[in-house]
Amino acid sequence: MTPMKLQTKDILTFAVELGLTMLESGAEIFRIEESIIRILQAYEIKHFDVYVLSNGIFASANEDADDACSLVRHMPKNSVNLGRIADLNQLSREICDRKIDLEEGWKRLKAIRVQDTYSNKVLILSCAIGSGCFCYLFGGSPLDSIFAFILGALEEFLLIQMNRARFSRSIAQIFGSMFVTAGSFLTSFLAGLALQRDKIIIGAIMILVPGIMFTTAIRDIYNGDYLSGAIHLLDALLTALCIAAGVVIMIFLFQHFGMEVAL
Amino acid sequence: MFSTLLTFIIQFIVAAVATIGFAFIFNAPRKEMALCGLTGAIGWLVYYISFYCADFNPVAASLIATGILTIFARIFAVKRQNPVTIYLMTGIFPLVPGAGIYYTAYYLISGDRAAFAAKGTETLEIAIAIVFGIIFGTAIPQVLFHKLFGKRA
Repeated sequence: MTPMKLQTKDILTFAVELGLTMLESGAEIFRIEESIIRILQAYEIKHFDVYVLSNGIFASANEDADDACSLVRHMPKNSVNLGRIADLNQLSREICDRKIDLEEGWKRLKAIRVQDTYSNKVLILSCAIGSGCFCYLFGGSPLDSIFAFILGALEEFLLIQMNRARFSRSIAQIFGSMFVTAGSFLTSFLAGLALQRDKIIIGAIMILVPGIMFTTAIRDIYNGDYLSGAIHLLDALLTALCIAAGVVIMIFLFQHFGMEVAL
Repeated sequence: MFSTLLTFIIQFIVAAVATIGFAFIFNAPRKEMALCGLTGAIGWLVYYISFYCADFNPVAASLIATGILTIFARIFAVKRQNPVTIYLMTGIFPLVPGAGIYYTAYYLISGDRAAFAAKGTETLEIAIAIVFGIIFGTAIPQVLFHKLFGKRA
């Protein structure tokens, strides 16, 4: 089958590195384990163990053979990248079907890792559109949606800047939600229009709400990866608390300085 | 009758656009944008109809909507041979209780304990409803999806 006898190490390293990139992009634990195992099986490795956690991978193969190998990888932070998950899925499928060899696989994996994401302009615009639309869906008027659109754009700009300045994620979320709350209250004061401040805020905080983390947590727990699921769930809960904290801090400040903060 | 239909269409389109907007932020592949939007719009429309027309409470409406959108996400995943997460994670956006988080925080700081407790509980209940919606949608065997929608057996 194999054109040249491959060392266990080569195969295992590739499989784990591919899994690690999936983990970095926010894939489910179950899918990562499955991808690594499939690749190992495709290269006819019989004895192996793979254990994936929400921030690390442990794997060993052929422990009773001469070329025994085991690997540990730690992945301290991740950011969701759905495009990368789709590409890696495709790559691992082609590797398993033996359409491409490991060398080609490495090339593709490296290309996927450095692949461009959408530009900041696109991100800001899409966050603005998303915020505006969500404001409308949750009962805002078209005028409210326009303000949510503007706030959403500024908010995404702020989030990108904070990410670049390596702010911790919790702090970025608190600042994001403080900014949205402040922005909505201040515009409605200054513009003197009958705006529904709550709808504008809800539209604009939707981007911070941990929907993806929550979904991952549920799917991990459903697949029996309780530990990773619990970690993701805690992460989602923490994010929700940070959003709430931002709102609370800002409204507290407004109240303290005697502004009218009724809904 | 006509105006109701028009409302549905508007809600559907706006939900699709909103979902696609956020899908960009999480770097969803360009080719899958339309299906991501469709998943989100289906989920939202089901929620909207069960909440405003069938008079379900938000918790039950979230449960139904999440279940149906999970099924659609899985159909798209099989059809396009992509991980289901791409459609599910983006499609769930309109249903996550962002409003609940805001109102809970708002009532906490404005000192309305009763409203705070009510909103907080409701937010938690919606989150749990989403959990069960995804679980019910996921519980349908994969074989069935492959048989009905798969390209290869």
